[in-house]
Amino acid sequence: MQLLRDILDKQVVDREQVKIGKVDSIVAELKPGKPPRVSAVELGSIALARRLGSTPARWTAKLAAGLSGKQQARPHRITWNKVRDIGVDIEFDIDVRRTRIFAWQDWLRDHVVGRIPGA
Amino acid sequence: MKKLLEISLGVVTSVGGFLEVGSMATAAQAGALFGFQLIWAVVLGTICIIFLVEMAGRFAAVSHHTIADGIRERFGFNAFIWPLIATLLVNFLVLSAEIGGVAIAAELATGIGFQWWALPAAFLAWLLLWKGTFGLIEKGVSMLGLVTLSFVVAAVMLRPEWKEVAVGAVPSLPRHDTAKYWFMAVSILGASISPYLFMFYSSGAIEDQWDKSYLGTNRAIAGLGMSFGGTISVGVLIVAALVLGAHGVTEVDDYNQLPLMLIPIFGFWGFVLFVASLAIACFGAALEVALQQAYLVAQGFGWNWGEDLKPRDDPGFSLVYTLTLFLAAVPITLGLDPLKLTIFSMALTAASLPLTVVPFLFLLNDDRYVGEHRNGVVSNAAVIFVIALGFVLAVVSIPLQIFGGT
Repeated sequence: MQLLRDILDKQVVDREQVKIGKVDSIVAELKPGKPPRVSAVELGSIALARRLGSTPARWTAKLAAGLSGKQQARPHRITWNKVRDIGVDIEFDIDVRRTRIFAWQDWLRDHVVGRIPGA
Repeated sequence: MKKLLEISLGVVTSVGGFLEVGSMATAAQAGALFGFQLIWAVVLGTICIIFLVEMAGRFAAVSHHTIADGIRERFGFNAFIWPLIATLLVNFLVLSAEIGGVAIAAELATGIGFQWWALPAAFLAWLLLWKGTFGLIEKGVSMLGLVTLSFVVAAVMLRPEWKEVAVGAVPSLPRHDTAKYWFMAVSILGASISPYLFMFYSSGAIEDQWDKSYLGTNRAIAGLGMSFGGTISVGVLIVAALVLGAHGVTEVDDYNQLPLMLIPIFGFWGFVLFVASLAIACFGAALEVALQQAYLVAQGFGWNWGEDLKPRDDPGFSLVYTLTLFLAAVPITLGLDPLKLTIFSMALTAASLPLTVVPFLFLLNDDRYVGEHRNGVVSNAAVIFVIALGFVLAVVSIPLQIFGGT
């Protein structure tokens, strides 16, 4: 398996096959005397903005913190030991409803979309 | 039997996608000014889009990925962002033009200025997306789109010299208005080879849950559906050449000239048929382009998406098409000339082609996605040809816009 080819930018689904995002970055752990180990993947606009450069990263982090509080100023992390299946999509053994990943979609549902009749 | 029904439905659907304000306006302009001489551009554009649509469908059926998914995953976000921005921008202009087309049809029917119709048209489209399912939109609207066949009927009834029509299918050099000739050729190609068409098609294949057993169906739909759409475009061009050109209207720069096209053949009903064709074709295309914007964003960022879900289950997705539709109605409401916008956005579509077509060459030859169903020599040759054509169009469309645009 190649990390960049087979993991990065792949579709992420939770245990109920809900599409929750793409692998926007990969976190590796370095311990002295050992080869690097993948410890987590990151999702979300901040992780994505980091890949475009340090300026977009700073701006996106500021924007996220301003919009939804300090705890949203860092990308969402899913630890690698939750991975269940790597195929067309990458499945993690998590329930998206118990994470903050969809916080903004929930906000949209409660404050905007849900208020429009027929939603 | 079931397959046959599916194929005919698919063919009808693809006509709905193919024929929109862009192909109608460019074909009408070309026919009025150059007679049958630009038929080759419609034919060439149709052949190119047949190949791209077949590949987009095959890719989705085999890999269960849409083209947008594939570009993002295969090339990474940093590369994907360019086609993403370009396609979002071009789609936005095209959507605005389609809303303009509906608005013009409403103005022709009622006499009330087109600016007033843009927001109601956008609202109606939004309501269908908000409440409707993918099947309703795909099948319902495209069935109505069959009214555009009246152009083919009209073209046949006008008894054109079929030999001249055939001559027009072979590219030839212009005898007058050189810059305009090439600009129109570019606009026709842009109107036929629209990225939204093949990207929407691949999303539709996922919505309809295609798998490998649909490969034959896919091939038939791509081939027959797009040829059918191309035939209607040629019909529009022939009618424009024989009616508008013959009445001395060579310069279609005002949409009020357009309904004249069908009147000599069908009388008053010709006017009704034209208005209905324009309204339905543009409305159907507006639905598809608005959905495609939402597909593109949702697939690019990995959100939940699907037209069959309730908006509250994919709030991000539904908000994208909601915002796009209403924002796209704004330029028309402010009085921007829909015909000018149409021609401009078709040329820009042509210019954006390399960004979306180059990935086909990689995706359709990647074993991990398409396995044994990868491209053969013919398909690869076709992609390389479209890429080359795309680069030429990208380079020439802006200068031609300046020198040959209306």
